[in-house]
Amino acid sequence: MQNSLTNRRNFIKKMAAAAAMTAAATMFPGIIFASEQEANLPKGGNLDWKKGPCRFCGVGCGILVGVDQGKAVAVKGDPNSSVNKGLLCVKGYHQIMCTQAKDRLTHALVKKNGKYVQTPINEALDIVANKMKETIEKHGKDSVAMYTSGQSTIPEGYVASKLMKGAIGTNNLDCNARLCMASAVAGFLTSFGADEPMGCYDDIDHADYFITWGNNMAEMHPVLFSRMLEQKNRRGAKIIDFATRTTRSSTASNKSILFEPQTDLAVANAICYEIINNGWVNKSFVENHVNFNKGLTNMGYGLEDKFKFKDKPTKIDFEAYKKFLEDYTPEKVAKYSKVSVKDIKYLAAIYGDPNKKVVSYWCMGMNQHTRGTWMNNLVYNIHLLTGKISQPGNGPFSLTGQPSACGTAREVGTFTHKLPKGVVMNEKHRRLAAKIWKVPYERIPSKPTYHATEMFRAVDRGDIKFIWTQVTNPLVSLPKTGRYRPAMEKESCFVVVSDVFPTPTSDVADVILPASWHIEKSGLYGNSERRTQHWDKMVEGPGETTPDAWMTIEIAKRMGYGDLFPYSEENHVEEIYNEYRQFHEGAKHGMAPLEVLKKESGAIWPYVNGKSTQWRFNAKYDPACSNDKDFHFYGKPDGKAVIWQRPYEPAPEVPDAEYPFWLNTGRVIEHWHTGSMTRRIPVLHKAMPEAYVEFHPDDANSLGIRNGEKIKVSSRRGSCVLPASINQRGLPTKGQVFVPFFDENMLINDVTLDAFCPISKEPDYKKCAVKVEKA
Amino acid sequence: MKKRLGIISLFVILFIAFITIWNYSYQIGLEEAYIPVEDEQHIYVIPSESGVFKRSQHALDYENMPIDEHHQRSLTTYYQNRAYHGAPPSIPHPVDEHQNMGGTSCLKCHENGGFTEKFQAYAPVTPHPELVNCKQCHVEQNTNTLFKSGYYASVKAPEAGVNNALLGSPPMIPHQIQLRENCLSCHAGPSAPKEIRVSHPNRVNCRQCHVPNNKEMAEVGTFKRVGNEK
Amino acid sequence: MPIKSYLAHPQEGKKEALMEALSKIDHCDVIPAENKELLIVVTDTESKTDDEKVKESIEAIKYLKLLALVSGFNTPKNN
Repeated sequence: MQNSLTNRRNFIKKMAAAAAMTAAATMFPGIIFASEQEANLPKGGNLDWKKGPCRFCGVGCGILVGVDQGKAVAVKGDPNSSVNKGLLCVKGYHQIMCTQAKDRLTHALVKKNGKYVQTPINEALDIVANKMKETIEKHGKDSVAMYTSGQSTIPEGYVASKLMKGAIGTNNLDCNARLCMASAVAGFLTSFGADEPMGCYDDIDHADYFITWGNNMAEMHPVLFSRMLEQKNRRGAKIIDFATRTTRSSTASNKSILFEPQTDLAVANAICYEIINNGWVNKSFVENHVNFNKGLTNMGYGLEDKFKFKDKPTKIDFEAYKKFLEDYTPEKVAKYSKVSVKDIKYLAAIYGDPNKKVVSYWCMGMNQHTRGTWMNNLVYNIHLLTGKISQPGNGPFSLTGQPSACGTAREVGTFTHKLPKGVVMNEKHRRLAAKIWKVPYERIPSKPTYHATEMFRAVDRGDIKFIWTQVTNPLVSLPKTGRYRPAMEKESCFVVVSDVFPTPTSDVADVILPASWHIEKSGLYGNSERRTQHWDKMVEGPGETTPDAWMTIEIAKRMGYGDLFPYSEENHVEEIYNEYRQFHEGAKHGMAPLEVLKKESGAIWPYVNGKSTQWRFNAKYDPACSNDKDFHFYGKPDGKAVIWQRPYEPAPEVPDAEYPFWLNTGRVIEHWHTGSMTRRIPVLHKAMPEAYVEFHPDDANSLGIRNGEKIKVSSRRGSCVLPASINQRGLPTKGQVFVPFFDENMLINDVTLDAFCPISKEPDYKKCAVKVEKA
Repeated sequence: MKKRLGIISLFVILFIAFITIWNYSYQIGLEEAYIPVEDEQHIYVIPSESGVFKRSQHALDYENMPIDEHHQRSLTTYYQNRAYHGAPPSIPHPVDEHQNMGGTSCLKCHENGGFTEKFQAYAPVTPHPELVNCKQCHVEQNTNTLFKSGYYASVKAPEAGVNNALLGSPPMIPHQIQLRENCLSCHAGPSAPKEIRVSHPNRVNCRQCHVPNNKEMAEVGTFKRVGNEK
Repeated sequence: MPIKSYLAHPQEGKKEALMEALSKIDHCDVIPAENKELLIVVTDTESKTDDEKVKESIEAIKYLKLLALVSGFNTPKNN
C-alpha cells in the first residue's frame, strides 16, 4: 500500500512536471530540459505503453495505451501504424475513460420475479446453457439465435459461428454489421466475386481527386480525412463532396454537390452515360477485364415479414448497356436529382480524365439504401469503365463503420449465409468448415435463415424463443425499434445480453452477462483496408467480467460440445486464431501469422510470402493473379469483373402532404453508434450531450421554429421529441431533417422505416417520410 | 298593489341578474388569473461549422513560419484588451479613418495579419472577416480615465495547459466559439498568444481532436439514462 | 497533499543563482531548461499550509522575475 501510494505521488509529480514542460514548450518552442530528468517523465517512467487497434471505427488506427500500476491512464496514436501515423480523433484519445463509469456491469444479473439479482457468473452461464438446450429440445434448433457484432473480435465471431453452425447446426446467426455494410459485401460479390476493397489507405497518398459519396468523413472517419486534408494542402489534391447534407466534410472540401435523396442511382448512371458519350471509356481494359450483366428490377423493399428475393443475372452486351443509359442523360437526371447538368458533367469529366487519379469513398449513405447493392455496383461501373481500379491512387473504396466489420463479420462470416470461408449454400465450403471444425458435414445446414431485421421479426412472431446478443445494442440501432422493443419484452423469447454497460437492450434481458471491455482481453480486429491487428490484454477488468469469446466457449462446454472447443482460458485467442487461419490459406486470402501481428502494427491480407498485398487484382502487386494479364479479377470464374445495368427506382416511402419531410439519420464525431461507451466518457458527453433535429434554415423559418425548441418528429411508425438545431453541426437540404441516432433517451429509430435492400438485406436509415411539429 | 308587485319583481330580477353577472365575471376573473409557466429549457449550443476551415489554405505557411520571440503576444496581453474573456477586444491603437465602419481599413491589416513597423507588433487576425462593420463591436480607447468608477465584476478567464482529461490527451476547448469558429486565426501564426499557439497548424481539422467543454454556457454533468437509472 | 508545478522565469542572467536558491528549499524539485531562461519547479507538500509556506519562500527569492502556476493536484491525506 505504502509503495503504491508513493508510486502514485511520484506519478502525479511527473504529470505536474510534464504539464509545466508542455506549457514551456508552447512558450519557447524548441526548449530543451536536462535530459536525465526528462527521461524520468511519464514517457518512459512508470507508464508502460501497449499496442493495439482503436476500439471505435473501421479506420482501425493504431493506439498505444499507457498503463500505470495495472490501470490504463493515457492513450496516444501509434506512430508505427501506417494507418494513422500517430494521430487519433477525440473518441480515440479518451476511449479508456469509459471503463471507469459508475454503472459498469461487473457481475452477471439474472431476472427473478421482475428484478435483477446479482448472480455468480458460473451460475448465470449454467442458466443460459440450460435454457438454450431446453429450447432446442422443445422447439428445435432453429428456435435459438445469436446476434453478434462488427465490434466482436475475430475469435469471438469465430467461436459464435462454430457454436451455432458447427455444433448446434443452425444458421440462426447474424450480426449488426448487416445494418452497416451488407450492401458493400453484396456489391463486391456481385461485381467482383470477392469481398472487401481492392486498394488500401495508401491510395490517399497518390490520388488527385477524392470523391465522397454520401459520406461525412470529417466526422465518421476523421483520421483518414485528415490524411486527405494533408494531401489537399501539400499536393493540391481535391476533395469533392457529393451528399444530401452540408457537413463538416463539405465545408472542408473543394466542392460540395448536393442531391435529392435516392437520386444518387440516377446521377451515377448519368456519369457513366457521359463517360461513354464522350469516349472516355478505357477500351482495352473493358474488353479484357469486364462483362456486362443485368438483374431483376422492381425488387420491392422487404417491408413485409418473410420477404424473399433472389436476383437473376443475365449477360448483356456493351450496346445494350449503352442503350439503357440513354434514359440517364445529365439533362434528364438533373430534373429530379436537383444536381445541375454542369455538376454532373464536372463529376464525369474527373472520372473520365485518363491523367487524373480518382478514389471514390463511401460508407453508410450508399450502404444504408434500399438499393444499396445497386448503388455499390454503379460506383464500380464508373471505375471499371475508366479502368481506374486496383492501382495506387485509383479505385473505389468502401469504408466500414465498425472496427472489425471486415475482420469478423465479413471474413469470419457471422452472417446467416456465411461460413469462415464461403457460404453455407456451397457444398465445398460446408465440407471445408466441417473438416476444420471436426464436425459431421451434414450438420451444417445449407439454407440461410434470418438476416438481422427478419431475426427480430421472428422474435416478434414467436418463432425465435431464445436470443443471445453480444457487443451490440439492437434496441437503439434497429430500424423501427417501436416494433422490436415490445417483441423482445415478450414472454415467448428468452433474452440474453452480453455487454459492458446497461443499455435499452439489456433492460429487456432475462440474463445479463458482464463482458470485458476492449483492452481487458486479448483479441484481433480487421479494418477497412484488410488489415488484421492484434492486441494483448492490457489491464484486468472489474468484478467477474469475462471476454465474450470465453463466455461462448463456456456455454458450448455446458451444452456438451466441449470436445469441439478444446481451448485454454489463458491462450484461447491464439489457439482460435491459428485454427481460423486454416480457412484462408492460399494466395487469395492468406492471413499473417500471429508472430507477425504481435510485432507489427497490423498486416494486410492476402499476406503472401511474408508480404502484405496492398492492391489486389493487379498483377504488379498481387501474387494471386494468374491469367498473365495486367489485371485478374479472380473472384469470378472467368477472371472478369461485372458492370451491372441497374436503374433508378424510387424510395419505398417518399414525403407527401401528410408527412412532408425526408428523415435522414446518422452519427456525430463525438459518439460511437448507440453511445453506450462514448456517453460515459465525460469529455465526449459534455461536447455532445444529446441528440437534436437539424433543419434547413428556410424550413425552420417557414415553420417558425427556433434553435433549441422541442420538436416532435413523427412518421407512420412512431415519434420522437428532440431540440431543434439550425445552422449548427450540419445543414440538411430543404425538405429534409437530420437526426443523429446515438441518444437512447431520444430514440429516433422508433420513427425510421425497416425497409431494406432486397439483395443485401441492409435497412435504409437515411430515407423515410416524417412530419414535424412543436412539442 | 299591482304596481308595487311590478316594482318588487323588477328589483328582484335586477338583483338576480346582478348576482349572475357578478358571479360570471368573478369566475372569468379567476380563470384569467392563471399565467402558464413555461418549462425552463436547457439549450446546448452545438457550435456552428461555418468558417471552420477558412484559414486552412494558410496552414502550411503557418507551419513554416519562424517564431519571432521579441514580438509575441501572451495570454495576459490578450486578455488585457478585453473587458472579460470572450468580449470583443477594443482597438488599442489610434485609428485614422473615423467616418467609416471599419471594413477594408481594418481588414487590410487584420484579415491576414503581418508585422506593423509603426506598432512594433504583429496584427492579430480576425476569425470573422465577413463581418465588415467592425466598429459595431470594436471601439477605440481614447482615454484612460473613467466617467465613474464602479464595481465591475471580473470573470476568470480559461487557462492554457490545464484542459486535458488524460495525460497527454488533446486539450478540450475551454471557451465559447461563437464568432470564433475559425481556430487558426487566433491559435496560429506570429500574432497568436504564445501560450495558445498550436504546434501543428497543418492538421486543419481541429475539432477532430479538440471538442468544446464549455462549462460557462451550460454545466452538462454526466450522462443519465432516462427512466432506467437504478 | 498538494502537488503543484510552476514555470519560474529568472531575472536576466540569474538562472544559475535562482536554481541554487530553489534547490535549497525543501519539498521542491527543479528542472532547468538547457537552452532557455526558464526553470520548472514542482512542489510536493503535506498540507495546504506547508504548500503556502513553500510558495512564499520561493517568491521571496530575489532572482525570481515571475512565477506562473501551471498545474495543481491534491490527494486526500487520510491514507
